[in-house]
Amino acid sequence: MQQQDTPRIQSTPLSLDVLLAHTERADCGALAIFAGTVRDHHEGRAVRSLTYSSYARVAEKLIRDIEAEIAARFAVPVCRAVHRVGALGIGETAILAIARGAHRAETFAAMQALVEAVKHRVPIWKEEFYADGSSAFVNGCTLVAAEDLPPAESRLHCTPTQSIES
Amino acid sequence: MSSGPSPCITWVDERVQVTVECCGVASRIAGAEHLAVVLPEAATVLDLFEVLAERSTEMAELLARCACARGDAIVPRGTQLADGDELALLPPVAGG
Repeated sequence: MQQQDTPRIQSTPLSLDVLLAHTERADCGALAIFAGTVRDHHEGRAVRSLTYSSYARVAEKLIRDIEAEIAARFAVPVCRAVHRVGALGIGETAILAIARGAHRAETFAAMQALVEAVKHRVPIWKEEFYADGSSAFVNGCTLVAAEDLPPAESRLHCTPTQSIES
Repeated sequence: MSSGPSPCITWVDERVQVTVECCGVASRIAGAEHLAVVLPEAATVLDLFEVLAERSTEMAELLARCACARGDAIVPRGTQLADGDELALLPPVAGG
């Protein structure tokens, strides 16, 4: 089956079967799959559910840019990531990422790089809802351009979770 | 009698109005999902941030780590804004 271009941000449950069917390649002997699921705790607090939101206009473009960048860097034909938005319960899949390559080494590496890049560079936000009835947005990586950051600021996870209680 | 534009029309022409979508925690801190902001002509993203920072100390602290998007691209703070721009305020991200 030829690769199909489908939305990278989805409000409906993610399907690994669909993702695999849309990316089949006869020239790839390796397939690496990652699924990120909602866990029931964060930094010692019991989590009941999550809500993901995104700025889809930028997120859709950035995920495609990242896929192309990682595919070129690791010389693999297929990199694909999809991220769920909306309310998710414990155990539901928030992100699926796959890489297909000729051999396993570059395919594993590409899949891991893809997941890291999507987590750190795509405008997606996570609000956690706790067992005690409160909620908080999880703080993460800034998307501010390097030239606009103060000298001491890091782009990556550099601060503990900054909770905005509600 | 002069046939030039009225002072009122001149005043409007010298400003740009933009709308800002507040994403993630920014909507909670701003108290709104969308803001309409009027800025001087030739204003930049940095000028917009300075206006928004006046809303609260918490907002000012968040803005230091916020990016700004226009269309499908993240734009630097020196970017000049145009009347009618639809922007988005992007706080630090936490996907996955």
